[in-house]
Amino acid sequence: MSPVIVCPSCDLAHRQDSIRTTERTQCARCRAWLQHPDGAALDSAIALALCALILLAFSNAYPLVTMQANGNSRDTTLIGAALGFYAQGYASLGALVFLTTVIAPLLQILALLFVLIPLWRGSRPRGQHTLLRVLMQVRVWSFMEVFMLGALVALVRLAKFAHIAPGIALWCCVLLMLCLSELTSITSPEQLWRWVERSRE
Amino acid sequence: MNSPATGRSLGLLLCLNCRATLRDAKLPHSRCPRCESRVHQRKPHSLAITTVLVVAAAVLYVPANLLPVMTTRTFLDDEPDTIMSGVLVLLQSGSWPIAVLVFVASIVVPLLKILALAVLLFSIWRGTSRHRLQRSQLFRMVEFIGRWSMLDVYAVSLLATLVQIQSIASIIVGWGAWAFGAVVVLTLIAARTFDERLLWDTAPHE
Ligand SMILES: [Zn+2]
Ligand SMILES: [Zn+2]
Repeated sequence: MSPVIVCPSCDLAHRQDSIRTTERTQCARCRAWLQHPDGAALDSAIALALCALILLAFSNAYPLVTMQANGNSRDTTLIGAALGFYAQGYASLGALVFLTTVIAPLLQILALLFVLIPLWRGSRPRGQHTLLRVLMQVRVWSFMEVFMLGALVALVRLAKFAHIAPGIALWCCVLLMLCLSELTSITSPEQLWRWVERSRE
Repeated sequence: MNSPATGRSLGLLLCLNCRATLRDAKLPHSRCPRCESRVHQRKPHSLAITTVLVVAAAVLYVPANLLPVMTTRTFLDDEPDTIMSGVLVLLQSGSWPIAVLVFVASIVVPLLKILALAVLLFSIWRGTSRHRLQRSQLFRMVEFIGRWSMLDVYAVSLLATLVQIQSIASIIVGWGAWAFGAVVVLTLIAARTFDERLLWDTAPHE
């Protein structure tokens, strides 16, 4: 019996010899993606992850926006936005914002680096399975691109009665968003496990 | 027509975490040999858990839209804003692309998600085998658009943090924002507990 690929979305079995691994292939029945092509380089994934880590640090170190109205000036950082909810007694909402804009991106980047750097150096990473599982869970809650759009909405609403100056962190967030989306697309679960299996050979 | 060969009919199991194909898995207490995560033929109690989450989200959708998400307090008065009145404010100030964006992301998307999931759950419960491809595509759309409804929560978080000018103007968060955040989280989890393969488990329609 030839190797079989089972569709993750409808359970239909496909014969592997009818599918080339270099191509993105769709399920014949439900049109879900069966597999992502094997192509991304380990080095570029590590480079992107390091880039994202630096951008995340900058995004949190500098103010996102500064607002001036009636001679008063106020600014906020990424974490400050989450603390705003907390300060007003909505701790759970603050936690949700903190989780989706700071913790999830951070864990996503760190877990990737802790798995990929040992693979690149050719050693067997510790806790690889757990890290990859955490990565898959945490990725779902990383909402940088939605946050950027939310920030845009807030700025448009404020611009009517105050002077708004975007900070360095806002631009870092835009770059971080692009970095993370590229990183997610080149480190699909299949690709990550391909790298892991190659290192074991 | 013979029923098509599926993972289940061939005794094969797909690990949803690492996409490994497993043979002879000893269900229901089996772990993937490659990534060590738990594997199941179908996600356990998918229908029941998803139904509970969707019902809870539908209930919370009402206060999310009726209660103010924030109140603007000036020395003159308090002005509460629901999501809809926020959209109208944006519309009046001429920024209609942003108004449309907020309307779609905050009002249309959550409603669509709740309705779509309800339709999908009902169709599985009835065991219908019609329009399976369309239903599958509907689910993938729900999965894709879900996260965008967090948009207004983020906007409120920034507004409430920035607009705190002593005695002149401040923005106070309302329970609408909380209910709204809860709707988003519940529907996101519901989309993850829903097992898409259940849509295809019925016999093909002739
Ligand atoms: Zn399929
Ligand atoms: Zn696995």
